[in-house]
Amino acid sequence: MTAPVIAYNTFVVAVGVAAVGFAAGVVGSLCVLRKRALVGDAAAHATLVGVACGFLVTGRRDLATLLAAALVSAVAGLGAMVLLRRFTRTRDDAAIAIVIGVSFGLGITLVSGIPAWGYADSAGLEQFLLGHTAALTAADATLLASVACVAAIVVAIGLKEATLVAFDAAFAAASGWPVAVIDYLLVALVAVMVVAGLPAVGAVLVTALVVIPPVAARFWTDRVGTMLLLAGVIGLVAALVGVAVSAMRPGLATGPLVVLAAAAIFGVSFLIAPERGWIARRIRARTLADAWSRGLALDACLRAAGAGDGTFTPVDVEAAVAGDRQGGRRAGAEAFAALVRTAAVAPVAGGRDAWRLTAAGRALAEERRRRLDAWARVIEHDPDDAREALTIDLPAPGAVLGRTGAGS
Amino acid sequence: MILLADGGLLGGHADIHAWAMATAAVVSASCALVGTLLVVRRMSLLGDAIGHAVLPGIAVAVLAGGRAGGPLVFVGAVMAALVTVWLTRGLRAGGGPEEDAGAGVVFTTLFALGVVIVSAAPPGTHIDPSCVLHGDLTFLPFDTVPVAGLPVPRAFIAGAITFSGLLAAAVATWKLQVFVAFDEAAARAAGLPVAAVTFGLLVATALATVASFDAVGAVLVVAMLVVPAAAAELLTRRLHTMAAVAVALAVVGACVGYLAAWRFSTSAAGMIAVVLGLEYGVAAVLAPGDGGLARVWGRLALAWRVAREDRLAAVWRAEESGGERGPATWRSLLERCAGWWLRADGSLVHTADGWRLSPRGRRDAEMIVRSHRLWEAWLGRHAELPLDHLHPPAEWVEHHLGAAMRQRLEAETGGRENDPHGREIPPEA
Repeated sequence: MTAPVIAYNTFVVAVGVAAVGFAAGVVGSLCVLRKRALVGDAAAHATLVGVACGFLVTGRRDLATLLAAALVSAVAGLGAMVLLRRFTRTRDDAAIAIVIGVSFGLGITLVSGIPAWGYADSAGLEQFLLGHTAALTAADATLLASVACVAAIVVAIGLKEATLVAFDAAFAAASGWPVAVIDYLLVALVAVMVVAGLPAVGAVLVTALVVIPPVAARFWTDRVGTMLLLAGVIGLVAALVGVAVSAMRPGLATGPLVVLAAAAIFGVSFLIAPERGWIARRIRARTLADAWSRGLALDACLRAAGAGDGTFTPVDVEAAVAGDRQGGRRAGAEAFAALVRTAAVAPVAGGRDAWRLTAAGRALAEERRRRLDAWARVIEHDPDDAREALTIDLPAPGAVLGRTGAGS
Repeated sequence: MILLADGGLLGGHADIHAWAMATAAVVSASCALVGTLLVVRRMSLLGDAIGHAVLPGIAVAVLAGGRAGGPLVFVGAVMAALVTVWLTRGLRAGGGPEEDAGAGVVFTTLFALGVVIVSAAPPGTHIDPSCVLHGDLTFLPFDTVPVAGLPVPRAFIAGAITFSGLLAAAVATWKLQVFVAFDEAAARAAGLPVAAVTFGLLVATALATVASFDAVGAVLVVAMLVVPAAAAELLTRRLHTMAAVAVALAVVGACVGYLAAWRFSTSAAGMIAVVLGLEYGVAAVLAPGDGGLARVWGRLALAWRVAREDRLAAVWRAEESGGERGPATWRSLLERCAGWWLRADGSLVHTADGWRLSPRGRRDAEMIVRSHRLWEAWLGRHAELPLDHLHPPAEWVEHHLGAAMRQRLEAETGGRENDPHGREIPPEA
C-alpha cells in the first residue's frame, strides 16, 4: 500500500478477483470433499486451447469471448478424460495426466504459433499462463464477479444434494438422487470457476484456487457449511493479497502470488488449527502416550507390592515401562515422576531407595486392574461386540492401551 | 541426421536442427522409460507433481551458480522432488488432506515459489520465465562442449548420460521393478526393499524431469512421462515390451513433433506433446484386442452371430410347436438381414409348405436350443429361481456355451430330458 490512493480500476479488479477467489473456494470445497481434487487441474490445462482458438476464430481479444471459448475447451478436456476412462484400459490417474499434458501442449503450440501465423494483435494471450491482473479492466472484473456470484448461488441452492453425494454416493443413489447428474454439475461448476480464475491465476496454477483453500479450511471445522464459507474467505484473502503484491511489483505474475498466499494460510492452518492441527495432534498423542506409560508404571508397582516386602525402587518401575514397545527410559522416569506427583507412591520411611504404593495408589491400580480384566473377558468372549462397545463408550485410553503391556 | 542434412528438409542449419531433435529424442526417451513404471504403478500424477515441483530446486541451483544441464541443477531438482513427496506424505500422516489433494497443495505451492524466484532473479541469470512453461529447444544446440573434437550440445550430453544411467538402473533391477509394480504387498512380504525401489523411482523421475527441463519446461514434461507409456500399455501385455514400445513412441514423437513445430513455426515442446497425444489416440483406436476398432468389431460380430442364432432357434421352436414363423414374419432390419444370410448359406430352405430348416440348420438350431434349455434346467436346479426368471439369463447364455460346457451342465442336471418348463431338451449332435 505504498500508493496513497488506490486507483478506481485497481479497486474494481481487486473486488472482482476476490469474488472469484471466494466462489472458487466454495465450489472447490465440494470437489475436495467428493475426492475429485485434481479434476480441476485437467480442466485448467485444457483452457489454454480455448483461449487460443477463441482468438483465432473470432479475432477478438475481449475477456468474455476468450473465457467462453476457454470454458468450451475445459469441458471438452473433461469429456476426453471421461471417454478415456470409459473406453480404454488407461487408468484414471494416467487419463488425467494425459489430458493435462496433451491439452496443455496443444495450447502452447497454438499460443506460440499465433504471432508467427500473422496475427499482429495477439499480445497478451500468454498472460493466461500465469495470470496477470494488471491488464484487467473494470468491465472484465464485473464479468468475473458476476460469474462468481452465479456459481456461489448455484452451490447454495444445491448444497444439500452435493453434500449427500460427497459423503455417501451409494446412499444418495439408493435414495433416488441422480448422482451422475449431480457429479457432472459439480465438475461443470469447477470448470466454470477454473475459467473464471484464469485471468488472475493462470492455467498452470488455477487448480490451486480450488484445492488449497478447501484443504486449509478443513483443518478448522467438521461442518460442511462452515468449511465452505471458510474456504471462500481464505480464497478471497489469498486473491486480494496476490492482486495487491502484484500491483506493487509489476514484474511478478499474479498467479504464483495468489497461490503462495493461499499456501501460507494452509501452512498456518496445518500447524495451529485446534483438534486437527499438527500441534494439537502432537499434544494429544503425547498425552495418550503419557497416560499409557503411567498405566504401565502403576501395574509394575502393583506387581511389586504383591511380592516380597511390598516395596520397589524407581529403577524397577522404569524398567517395566521401558521394556514396552512404545516406552523408553525417559518415558519410564516421567511416568514414575507423575505417580509421585499424584501421591500414588510414597517413599518408605527410613528406607534408602525403597518406595511403596499409597492407599490411594493401590486403589487406583486395583481399579485399573479390574477394568482391564473386565475388558479382557469381554474381548475374549465376543471380540466383535467388544469392538463395538469400545467405539461407543471409550474408557480412559491409558486403561485400555496398557492392557497389552500389563497382561499375560 | 545425414538424410536431413543432405536432403535439406530443414533448409540451412541442418546440423543445429539435428542436434535439437536428438536432444528432444533422448530426453523424451528417458521420460518414457521412467513413465512406464509410473503408469503401471498408478503414480502418473506423482510424475505431474514432480514435474512442477522441481522448478524451485532448479531455480535455487541456478541462482547458486549452477548451469543448465550441470550437476548442481540435477541435485537441486532431486532435492525438490524429494521434498514434494516428503511433504505430501507428511501432510497426510499429520492429519492433513488425502493424497491427491495434498499433492495438489504441495506441487502448486512449490511451482508458484519457483516462478516467483525465477521472476525475481537478477537479470542475466540463465533462466527465463517463459522457458519454465514450455522450454526452448532452439538455443540448446549453441551451448556446446567439444567431444572428440566435435562440438556436442551440453543438453544432449546431459540427456544421453541420464538415459544411459536410467536404462542401466532399469535393466539391473528389472525383476524387482516388475514384482513391485504388479504386487507391492507380496513384494513387501517377500522381504524385498519396496521402499527403496519406490524411492529410486522418485529419484529417476526427478532426473528425467530435470534432463528435459530446458527442452520442454516444467509443465509439459508430464506429457512425455505419461503419454507414451500409456499408449504402449494399450499396445502390449508385457512390461519390458511396454517399456521398449514407450521409448520408441517417445523418440518418434519427439522427432515428428520437432519437425512439425519447425514446419508450423511454433513451440517444439508443445508440438511434441501434441504428437505424443496423437500417437496415444491412434493406439487407443487401433490397439489389438481392446482398442476402439477391435471392440466395435467384436461387438458387431457378436450381435450378428446372436441375431443369426436367435433366428435359427426361432424357426426350430416354431416347428416344434407346429406353427410356421419363417423369414416372412421378421420385421426388424437385423432380423431380415439374418434371414437373408441363413437362406444364402443354406440353413433355411423353401419348401412347398413354407420355410423349413435344412439338416445342417436343424443341427445348429438344436445346439442353441439345447444350450438354452440345459441352462434353464441347471438354474432351476441350483439357483432356486422361480420359473419365469429362467428364460432371460438362458437367452443370454445360450450363445456362449460350447459342447464341453453343455456336457457338464447335462451331468450336473442329472441327465434329465426336459427343461423346467417341461419341454424336451434336444440331444447333443
